[in-house]
Amino acid sequence: MIEIKKTYKNYVGGKYVRSESGKTFTLNLKNDSFEVPLTSKKDIRDAVTSSKAGFEKWSEISPYTKTQILYRLSEMIEGNKDSYVDLLVLCGSTKNQAKKDVETAIENIVWYAGLADKWEQVSGNLNPVNGEYFNISHQNPIGVVFSLNSNNNSLSSLLNSIIQPLTVGCSVISFSEESSIIALKFAEDINNSDFPAGSLNILSGQFENVFEDVSKHVEINLISICKEIPNEMLTKIQENASSSVKRIVNMPSIDGISSILPFLETKTVWHPKGT
Amino acid sequence: MVNWEYSESVESQEIVNIKEKYQNFINGKFQQPNSKKYINTISPSTEEVLSKIVISNEKDVDNAVQSAQLGFEKWSNTSPHERSKHLFKLARLIQERSREFAVLESMDGGKPIKESRDFDLPQVAANFFYFAGWADKIDLSWGAKSLKPHGVVGQIIPWNFPLLMLAWKVAPALATGNTVVLKPAETTSLTALLFAELCEQAGLPDGVVNIITGDGTTGSLIVNHKDINKIAFTGSTQVGKLIQKSLAGRDVGLTLELGGKAANIVYEDAAIDQAVEGVVNGIFFNQGHVCCAGSRLLLQESIHDEFVAKLEKRMQTLRVGNPLDKNTDIGAINSKEQLNKIEGLVNEGVSDGGKIFQTECELPGNGFWFKPTLFTDVQPSYSIAREEIFGPVLTTLTFRTPQEAVEIANNTEYGLSAGVWTEKGSKILWTADRLQAGVVWANTFNKFDPSSPFGGYKESGFGREGGRQGLLSYLKAES
Repeated sequence: MIEIKKTYKNYVGGKYVRSESGKTFTLNLKNDSFEVPLTSKKDIRDAVTSSKAGFEKWSEISPYTKTQILYRLSEMIEGNKDSYVDLLVLCGSTKNQAKKDVETAIENIVWYAGLADKWEQVSGNLNPVNGEYFNISHQNPIGVVFSLNSNNNSLSSLLNSIIQPLTVGCSVISFSEESSIIALKFAEDINNSDFPAGSLNILSGQFENVFEDVSKHVEINLISICKEIPNEMLTKIQENASSSVKRIVNMPSIDGISSILPFLETKTVWHPKGT
Repeated sequence: MVNWEYSESVESQEIVNIKEKYQNFINGKFQQPNSKKYINTISPSTEEVLSKIVISNEKDVDNAVQSAQLGFEKWSNTSPHERSKHLFKLARLIQERSREFAVLESMDGGKPIKESRDFDLPQVAANFFYFAGWADKIDLSWGAKSLKPHGVVGQIIPWNFPLLMLAWKVAPALATGNTVVLKPAETTSLTALLFAELCEQAGLPDGVVNIITGDGTTGSLIVNHKDINKIAFTGSTQVGKLIQKSLAGRDVGLTLELGGKAANIVYEDAAIDQAVEGVVNGIFFNQGHVCCAGSRLLLQESIHDEFVAKLEKRMQTLRVGNPLDKNTDIGAINSKEQLNKIEGLVNEGVSDGGKIFQTECELPGNGFWFKPTLFTDVQPSYSIAREEIFGPVLTTLTFRTPQEAVEIANNTEYGLSAGVWTEKGSKILWTADRLQAGVVWANTFNKFDPSSPFGGYKESGFGREGGRQGLLSYLKAES
C-alpha cells in the first residue's frame, strides 16, 4: 500500500495556508523528509494583519477564560501525545527523549495556564504616593509579537518561545526553520482548541529571507529571538527596529515571572481622593 | 473690580555661588578635562553668562568610564545596607541645600522659582529617599534572585527638569548596585555639578557617580564607549532612535524615555472648572517643556465653546516673566534654539488654518519668552496636532463619543501620557483601559512620585522610571 503522507501548511488567521509564493523547502529529518512552506515577505505581511485582528480578540478575553483555553491546549496535546512522539522520533529523538519532551511541554503549558489569571497580581501594584491620590500600576500586553523558534526539534522548546507572550494576551507569529515540522504539527492542536483566529500564527521558512521585513514592519511590536543568530543579522534587525522604537528581546528569560516581563507595558493610573 | 497693583517678590541669588568655570567630576573629584573646548552657559531669562562648562572629548569620556568601572568594584563590595545609607545621606543633604539648588535651577534653566522650589527639589529628595530604601531589598522587589546590576551605566538627561532627571537616573541606578557616568544637557549643567559636590560631601566611594559635561557629541561618545554596560536616555524620540540604532548588535542594556503628544480628554460630564485648572497645569507647567505635557486638548463637542471661553480667561491670569519672582507662573524658554522651534511650529499652525489665541502680557526685553498660546479650529493632520512642540502651546480637537476620543488619543506614534476628565467613575476606567499611554491622569494631570512608574508605550520609549517597575531598568536577569 502506498503511504499517505500529510502535507504540512502554515497556519495563519485560523486557517491552514500554503505560501502565496507557492514555494516550499525540504526538511530532511533523520528518518524522513517533508516539503514545508517557504514563507515569503507577503506571507509575513498577511500574518501581521491576522495577528493584529487576533490580538484585538485574544487580549479582550478574560484572564479566567484564557486560563481555561491554555489548560485545554495541554489536554489536546496529552490526547495526541503519541503522534508527537512519533514525529519527534522521525526527527531523530529516541522514544524516551521524545516522551519526556512532550511531557515537559505539557507541564509548562499547565504552569502558564495557571499564571494567565494571576500575573497581573504579581507584576502590578498600588503605589504609595505622597498625597491624596489613588495610584495603581498594572500591565497591558505589548501587542503583536514575532518569535523566532530555535532549531531544536522539540515541542518544549517551541512552547518556550511562544507561551509567555500568549499567556499575557499578546498575539504571536511563531517562525521556525529547521524545526518547522513540530511547529506545523502543533498548529493542529491550536486549531482544535479555543484560541481566537490570528492569536497564534505558525510559519515555516528561512529567516534570512524575511528578517529585513519583519524588523521594519511597524505593526510588529516586539521581536523575540529564541535562537542563536549571526551578529550581523542581529545588528541589522536592531538597526531596523530603531526606526519605530520596536522592542527586541534576544534569548528571553524562561524563568518564572521574568519570562513574561518583556511582553508587558506598564500603565500607571492616578486619581485624586476626596469628598 | 478693584485693580490691584502688582508687586514683585524676587528670590535672592545670594545663596548660590557659581564658579567661573567648571571641570568634570570623575573618580570623586573635579578634574582638569583633557578637552580644551569650553562653552558659556547662560541664563535664558537674562542672556547673562553664568559660567563656562567643558565639552568633554573622547579621552574625558574614557576617563569617566574607567573611573566608573573602578567605582563598580568598590560599590559591589559595599554591602546593600551600606549602599542604602549612602543614598539616605544624599537625600538629606539635598533637603538641606534645597534652596540653593532651586535658585540655581531657575537661574540656569529659566523655570519659575515656585516650581523649582516646590516641585523639582522636593521630588529630587523624595527620589533619593525612595530608592535608598530599595537598595537592601532588591531580592524582595521581584522575588527573583537572578536580577543583577548591569555595571557601568551611561545616563544622558535633558534640560527641562535638570536635577530631577538626574535624581530619576542616579538614585535607582545606585540603589540597584550600578555606577554611573552622567551627562547633563549642555544648557543646564550647573545643578548636576553642584550635586557632584554633594557626592563628595556625602562620602560616596570615588567613581560611583561621575558627571561630565558636554553636548550631543559627548553623549554619542558615551553611547559608543566599548565598556558601557547600559544606557539610560531621556530626550527626544529622534535622538532616542539614533541611540537605539548605535547600540544595535552590542550587548548593552537600553531604556529610553522619549517624546510625547498627550491627549487630555475632557468629557461633557467633567467638573468643568477643575478641568480648566487641570488643562492649564497640564500644558503650561514648566513652560510646556514637559515630555508628558497635555498638549492635545480633546473636548467633547457639546462643551467646546464654554470650555474654551473659560480656558482663555484663566490663561489670561498667567504671569509670565522673571523666573526668580515668586509670583511667576511661566518662566523663560530654555534656549534660543527651543524658542525658534516653538515659533516655527506655531507659525505653521497659523498658516495651516488654526485659530490662535495668545494672552496679552508684556515680555521682558532680554531672554527667551513665549506667550501662553491656545489653538482652536485645528485638524488632526496639522503639525501642531501631531508634533511635540515642547512649549506653552495647547492644541484643541473635538470629539463626539468616548470611542472617538480614544481613537483620536491613540492616533499618534507617541504613548507617554494621557488625561481623562469626567465625574463618572466607570467612564474613567473604561477610557484608561483603552488609552495606549504609560501614565494616565484621571481628574488630575502632571502628578509625579518616585513610587509611581513613568515611561512610554510605542515611540515614547521603553522601560519605566520610578516604582518597583523602575528597578527593572537597572537590573538584568542572569542565569
